[in-house]
Amino acid sequence: MENKNRNKITINIGPVHPSTHGVLKFVVEIDQDTIKKVEPEIGFVHRGVEKMAEMKYFNSFMPIADKLDYISALNWEVLYATTVENALGITVPPRAIYIRTLMCEMQRMMSHLLFLAHMGEDLGNTTLFMWGFRERELLMDLTEEVSGGRLAPMYVSIGGLYYDLPEGFSERLLSTLNIIESKVKNEYKALSYENGLFKMRMVGVGVISKEQIVKYGITGPNIRASGVKRDIRKDDPYLAYDKVDFDVMTETAGDCYARFMVRVNEILESIKIIRQIIKDIPSGEVKVKVPWIFKIPPKYTFVRQETPRGEAAMYMVTNGDQKPYRLKIRAPSFYTIQAVKELFVGSKVADLVAILGSLDPVPGEIDR
Amino acid sequence: MIYDFFYDFLAAHFSPLLSTIGSWLIVFIIGGLITLNVPIFLGWVDRKLSGRIQARYGPVYTGPFGLLQNVADVIKLMGKRFLTNQVIDPLIYNIVPIAIALLGFFMVFIIPWGNANLVLLYVPFNLLFIYIALAVSPLLVLLAGWGENNKYAMLGGFRGAAQITTYELSLLIVFISVALLSGSYDITTIAAAQSSVWYVLYLPITLVVFGISSLAVIERGPFDIPEATQELQAGWKIEYSGIRYGLFFIAEYVRLLVISMLIVYLFFGGGNGLFLPNYLWFWIKTSIVTIFMMSLRWVFNRPRIDQLINIGFNWLLPLAVVNLLIVGAVMFF
Repeated sequence: MENKNRNKITINIGPVHPSTHGVLKFVVEIDQDTIKKVEPEIGFVHRGVEKMAEMKYFNSFMPIADKLDYISALNWEVLYATTVENALGITVPPRAIYIRTLMCEMQRMMSHLLFLAHMGEDLGNTTLFMWGFRERELLMDLTEEVSGGRLAPMYVSIGGLYYDLPEGFSERLLSTLNIIESKVKNEYKALSYENGLFKMRMVGVGVISKEQIVKYGITGPNIRASGVKRDIRKDDPYLAYDKVDFDVMTETAGDCYARFMVRVNEILESIKIIRQIIKDIPSGEVKVKVPWIFKIPPKYTFVRQETPRGEAAMYMVTNGDQKPYRLKIRAPSFYTIQAVKELFVGSKVADLVAILGSLDPVPGEIDR
Repeated sequence: MIYDFFYDFLAAHFSPLLSTIGSWLIVFIIGGLITLNVPIFLGWVDRKLSGRIQARYGPVYTGPFGLLQNVADVIKLMGKRFLTNQVIDPLIYNIVPIAIALLGFFMVFIIPWGNANLVLLYVPFNLLFIYIALAVSPLLVLLAGWGENNKYAMLGGFRGAAQITTYELSLLIVFISVALLSGSYDITTIAAAQSSVWYVLYLPITLVVFGISSLAVIERGPFDIPEATQELQAGWKIEYSGIRYGLFFIAEYVRLLVISMLIVYLFFGGGNGLFLPNYLWFWIKTSIVTIFMMSLRWVFNRPRIDQLINIGFNWLLPLAVVNLLIVGAVMFF
């Protein structure tokens, strides 16, 4: 009985698995611990968000925008609010713009800290996991102080923000930033990016080429690790990003380690941005009055912004009604996850976890 | 020798047959109690230590300093319903945890506990017997992976067998070099031979080889690749639950302790030290070594299986062999 496929095993990784970062599933065909074929299965948390948007008033969609990507809720809140504001043709007061930039960068740090934590967890280092959550918790507390919410803050409203910053917030934020900066630069260095075993697992694994970037439409830190200097914050500045001085962090290797380093550097870059914003934040109102239910004349609106996972965009078609006619959401993780079909093949099962972790997908955003 | 002590004590009052049976019983009970309590205590140390490293408390509520947490866990594991998949191989499935726990018990039985007289049963060449107890595990891991009839378990079993067989070789060569230097396979004799100079000064590289290989052989993190929670959920242990799963903890912590004790015996002079009594020195050294070996898990991440095997065959095995040759040459001339 000669069977050519007798060495092949098909295993299901997910949907409930410690390192799929939510409910993702991969049907993996392996031959002695080496992956031969991968089929990603998505859609386990599909909620029909785009349809939901068509059925709700413009204001009522905000909590759902929060839960698209539950790791970077504020970025999506800002994106949706900006889309509606652009369609409505209102300008937001400058203080609100600055605070939105501040919150976006805080959210980016939180998201990247969670990424570092999960990267440690995926490689079997639970200490990095706990430490990442420890530092993220400091920022979570500040978010709670500002908005009352932690994971889904509901802070951004159409026309500005719901509340102004509390008193003494900037001092507390600055001291928190100092803590995080020193931890990322020293403790994390010893545990992760200068650690021999960590580098052994990460360097040269899961290289994304420039052809793959074009083919699958990957964006965000994942392509900056491959040497593509593309960041909407710099290329097409929105909010207050043209008024602050920061660099777009790039690496050249394109492997897991480069993707890790890009995020580590982006945390430090975000700290830099927040410090500048706190220095030049103007005073004044934080919102313009917008009624709860309003109509938007027939219009096409397209807004794109940089979330921690890449370029997120919303394309809204309005027809003069109180609800949008169509809302198309471009979720960056959805495009990134398509590349795993090529990235996983030929690597070990252990590398699957490392590569998937380094791509930083969020199923809530992929499935929408 | 505790067995002889009890035998002499009983032989004064009873017939030789009764004394033999009685002393065996007593020794078995003592050994069993030690075997059960090692994982309970060391598990607590492990939890507390990892808690401190990871900026959390570890167990606090159950008993003073959370000392009884693992006792509570044992009770919980014993009370669990037996649950597994439908098509296991019952014989293999049930025999593996018992065999693994018995190997731990066997090691507890023959290793000296800090003193030449503090050994439950003296057997000559006890270093080799301990090596055998360590070296049998790839067979059991492979059997468990096969008997559970689960793809993850089988992958874990294969990984475990590959990893352990790789590192056993360097472990054996380390034992041979130490035995060559001291002229004996008896642990207490080796320790006694280091009364002037500890072997760590003669064989520092061998110590490193031994540390890495032993961690790989007992599948303790960072080399817990066969279990690999993040890739294979629990690897070859995946279908085990309840007390069968609890038995693996006996093996894990007893072997960790035995490895630490061996490091002290073979490289740090056993109980040799100034001022304090022998067994106290031994336990001070063992505690330090155990905590060091434990904390490695919380600092490093897991390497990949092919990387680990490459390290084993390309670096540790040649290093161990070169060391052995050097020791042999020095002893010859």
